[in-house]
Amino acid sequence: MSGDELNPAAVAQPVEDVQGDGRWISQHTRFVQECKDAEPDVLFVGDSMVQLMQQYEIWRELFSPLHALNFGIGGDTTCNVLWRLQNGELENIRPKVVVLWVGTNNHEHTAEQVAGGILAIAQLLTSRLPRAKIVVLGLLPRGERPNSLREKNTAVNGLLRSWLPRLGQAQFLDVSGEFVHSDGTISPQHMFDFLHLTATGYRTVAKPLSDLLLQILEETPEERRASLV
Amino acid sequence: MSAEDSNPAATPTPCEDIQGDGRWMSMHNRFVSDSKDKEPDVVFVGDSLIQLLHQFGIWRQLFSPLHALNFGVGGDATQHVLWRLSNGELDNISPKVVVLWVGTNNHGHTPEQICGGILAIVQVIKNKIPHAHTLVLGLLPRGKMPNPLRDRNAKVNKLVQEAVSSLAHASFLDVDPGFVHSNGSISHQDMYDYLHLTPQGYQAVCEPLHAHLKSLLEKPTEN
Ligand SMILES: [Ca+2]
Repeated sequence: MSGDELNPAAVAQPVEDVQGDGRWISQHTRFVQECKDAEPDVLFVGDSMVQLMQQYEIWRELFSPLHALNFGIGGDTTCNVLWRLQNGELENIRPKVVVLWVGTNNHEHTAEQVAGGILAIAQLLTSRLPRAKIVVLGLLPRGERPNSLREKNTAVNGLLRSWLPRLGQAQFLDVSGEFVHSDGTISPQHMFDFLHLTATGYRTVAKPLSDLLLQILEETPEERRASLV
Repeated sequence: MSAEDSNPAATPTPCEDIQGDGRWMSMHNRFVSDSKDKEPDVVFVGDSLIQLLHQFGIWRQLFSPLHALNFGVGGDATQHVLWRLSNGELDNISPKVVVLWVGTNNHGHTPEQICGGILAIVQVIKNKIPHAHTLVLGLLPRGKMPNPLRDRNAKVNKLVQEAVSSLAHASFLDVDPGFVHSNGSISHQDMYDYLHLTPQGYQAVCEPLHAHLKSLLEKPTEN
């Protein structure tokens, strides 16, 4: 994609502290510090979908054992993640895989812009971590019933599916088909507020993701690989 | 009551569907329909701090056995909870205790307004379920370091505690186990984003809350 500079979803931007308790920058600062203390093999980056995963058992069960760090912040857009990654969250670490899951909060942007923003983050990761693989997770459907945001997220996934293969290191994992029932509804058993995942909902995402990560890590010719499998 | 009429925190207001996926109204409708075939003894009402509690093991461990329903919606301020409770969520049930935890999302409102909003909710509960006791939980501190919202929440707590002390059908419970360390910081081990609780944070809040609820449920009703 040329003309990223014209895409507002590909412009790095910090979150303005409108509420006045500085929580966003506190979280970013903590992540930068964690980079100095940890040697992750897997880095998760994104919004609340990434962040909340760490609060459930599934994280300790499937992802902590892979030496994973979680840099998820609730409410983040592609712009905010781009800013964080350009401002210290990739310093001092050399993960083998980065899992990227962001875009459903880009309310002011079109599907093309959101996909372009995600691609811009993937490109940044590629240039900063030339040996790392990137797993981009597809955006999930949202809302109890069919609505325009579901259609937009589906369109974003379609664009990512065609664009991402051009980046040799990036793979697309789309589990969005698992959540909508035949009558068009999403169940609160999977998404408690029709956006965020329950423990059961996370299992649906985490199993194929964990399988893919294990496969990538096995293929990584590294001396530490034996301890991972 | 003209002062209360002009208080935005005490004016029932549905959440506007700015994002366009109708999630807020879907949740409200689900709570209304859930309430039709349940007979809860305890109902938890409030914002994301109530809502997320439902997602962790501690809910099934401590509160499901009390026959509890959870009507928490992330992002809700007092005026939103007021609207939900005035529009069906309490119409088909008769719990003994309502646990109310809301107010930290009332951005732009003064402590007096937020307290007024909480008291308006307590009044709606009293009108809908006269025999129920409302347990108002104190707002928690937030932000990694000291900030104006911590001061605001502390002020709300002081006002609410004073106001409900004279009410027979309501009481106030400070559930902060001491989240602020001696250097003024809050740990992400307790609040992962310096607002929402981790399972560990919920454990510290919920064990005393559970004991308090048990004693309320064992007491004969006040009227
Ligand atoms: Ca009282």
